[in-house]
Amino acid sequence: MLTQIGPFFSEAFAVLLGNKTRSLLTVLGLIIGVAAVISIQILGKGMSGAVTGVLGTLNDRSFFVFPNSRQADVFKAAIKYTDIAKTTSLFPNIVAALPAGGVQRLMTAGHHHARLSLTSESDIAFATVPLIYGRNLSADDIGRSAHVCVLANNGYKRLFPDGGDPVGTSVRVSERRFIVIGVQGAPTAGIVPTNFGGDVLIPYTTFVAEFLRTRPLFAAKFLVRDPSEIGATEVAVIKYLKSIKNGRSEYQTFDRRSFSSSIDGIFTALTLVVSLIGAVSLVVAGIGIMNIMLVSVTERTREIGVRKAIGATSGQVLAQFFIEALLLSGVGCGIGLVLGLAIGAAVDRFALVAISGVVPEIPWVQSVVIAVGFATIVTLVFGTYPAYRAARLDPIEALRYE
Amino acid sequence: MSENAIVIDDVTKIYSTGALEVQALRGVSFTIERGDYVAIMGPSGSGKSTLMNLIGCLDRPTTGRYTLDGIDVGTLDDNALAAIRLKKLGFVFQGFNLLSRTNAIKNVALPLFYAGISQREREKTALAMLGEVGLGDRGTHKPNELSGGQQQRVAIARALVNDPAVLLADEPTGNLDSTTSVEIMALFRHLNESGRTIIMVTHDPETARYAKRTIRVRDGLVVSDERSDTVPSALEVT
Repeated sequence: MLTQIGPFFSEAFAVLLGNKTRSLLTVLGLIIGVAAVISIQILGKGMSGAVTGVLGTLNDRSFFVFPNSRQADVFKAAIKYTDIAKTTSLFPNIVAALPAGGVQRLMTAGHHHARLSLTSESDIAFATVPLIYGRNLSADDIGRSAHVCVLANNGYKRLFPDGGDPVGTSVRVSERRFIVIGVQGAPTAGIVPTNFGGDVLIPYTTFVAEFLRTRPLFAAKFLVRDPSEIGATEVAVIKYLKSIKNGRSEYQTFDRRSFSSSIDGIFTALTLVVSLIGAVSLVVAGIGIMNIMLVSVTERTREIGVRKAIGATSGQVLAQFFIEALLLSGVGCGIGLVLGLAIGAAVDRFALVAISGVVPEIPWVQSVVIAVGFATIVTLVFGTYPAYRAARLDPIEALRYE
Repeated sequence: MSENAIVIDDVTKIYSTGALEVQALRGVSFTIERGDYVAIMGPSGSGKSTLMNLIGCLDRPTTGRYTLDGIDVGTLDDNALAAIRLKKLGFVFQGFNLLSRTNAIKNVALPLFYAGISQREREKTALAMLGEVGLGDRGTHKPNELSGGQQQRVAIARALVNDPAVLLADEPTGNLDSTTSVEIMALFRHLNESGRTIIMVTHDPETARYAKRTIRVRDGLVVSDERSDTVPSALEVT
């Protein structure tokens, strides 16, 4: 009868404290295993979170098409804008097709000059960067091929180093003037570049008419109506472009969803590998605990005999050794948890935050679940047998044991 | 409640190890009254250890009946036997068998721990029991800080802490020098005089002399059972 379980814990604690070095060495494997698994899963979560955080500024409704770099002559893959423009009528899901990338031009605003990248943009931006002044390009600006511009943060800093609201003033490029209608805030620094090279953004219709003219393109941006169909649309566009080149050129696409899902795929694989390492370390640590518990049972055979002779039931002896195993694995997993959280948080803080600027969330609940799960499994699988051996000892034999 | 602490009725014990059968007890019968002080003697291989294990409820007879304090223990399962050992029996071993890591109080309190008594109550009772065996001031000492005689006194206190029906001692002086042996025998004597039933297994006639009654066992049978009128008073000897 187990009237009170509490005293068993204090008994077991006293036994383990009486053998500090051995207890610590026994749980070392468990500490390392748990700490490794927890810190790496925190890191995985952090990386994944950083990437998603950075990609969060990209919208789901656009994709890029550009020549695949693994082909003999990339330059032959250049595309004419007229071919790209046709996609809006060929594919119902495509709303707009615009040249990607920009041209370098000397620009002037007031007394300030700078050589900056002039980029085509539509009313649905590829990356959603918050504005600090004014407004974004509108459908009307696109339709009218208006001479207006939105300054990316870099362009704003170069042309208006003194700051202030420049909306309504103009930026001069060669002989043309563009009225400033908006200014973007600083983009989130990230491990994925969200600023695709634009300093000054103008309506793509204006860009094609004034700057691109008939020059070939190396990359194009497409806006789609239904983002869930984006994959099929990308495949269709690639097929269309290849047919124009009689199959001699290769193209690839980039969009937020497929990119983040491929990143997620990497982290899923990483998590799987870590889980396997965790499972191995769990087994190794568990065998260590079982080994030391068996040694302990053998060493204390006489003590077990005395306890039984005095009136301890087999159940009470089982409980004693089971609780010792539970305390060992509990303490090991507890230390491993604290260590793993510390390492994970430190790496997050000093590496990931520095790279991405995104502060990842520490998965507390998941970490605690892992540690508790480890402790439970190790105790159940590897603590039961030694406890059972102790409980089954015949008191007469045990008392005779030297 | 029966007047008899122990009734052994035609008890046999056969050990079978593979093809070999060893008849350790061949039909033993005797009765021990409450308050008696009995020595069980016999050379090694006589069956006295088997008898001791049976009386101590560590083993069951092959045939025959064993009644302890009015309870037929021959038919009980392991857990019930453990409960009997806890409540009705107190063991004193030749090698003391104290838990070396824990102090005297905790050692004495161990049976109370298994009986589910609270820690405060346990330690209070244990300390009182240590006082009774003359070690009231040694409660916090660990076994290795005590002499052999003191260790045996702690073991006796532990055996008595649950107020058992029978105190069962297996060669209680086997590991002690003669002076200390006499002290322990004096303690047993004193305990018996205050009403305790004591059964002592020994091969040493000197020790057996202190008991009121001596049962001799040989080849698995009781060969003699006599009362001694000339029990040496412990005080006389010292």
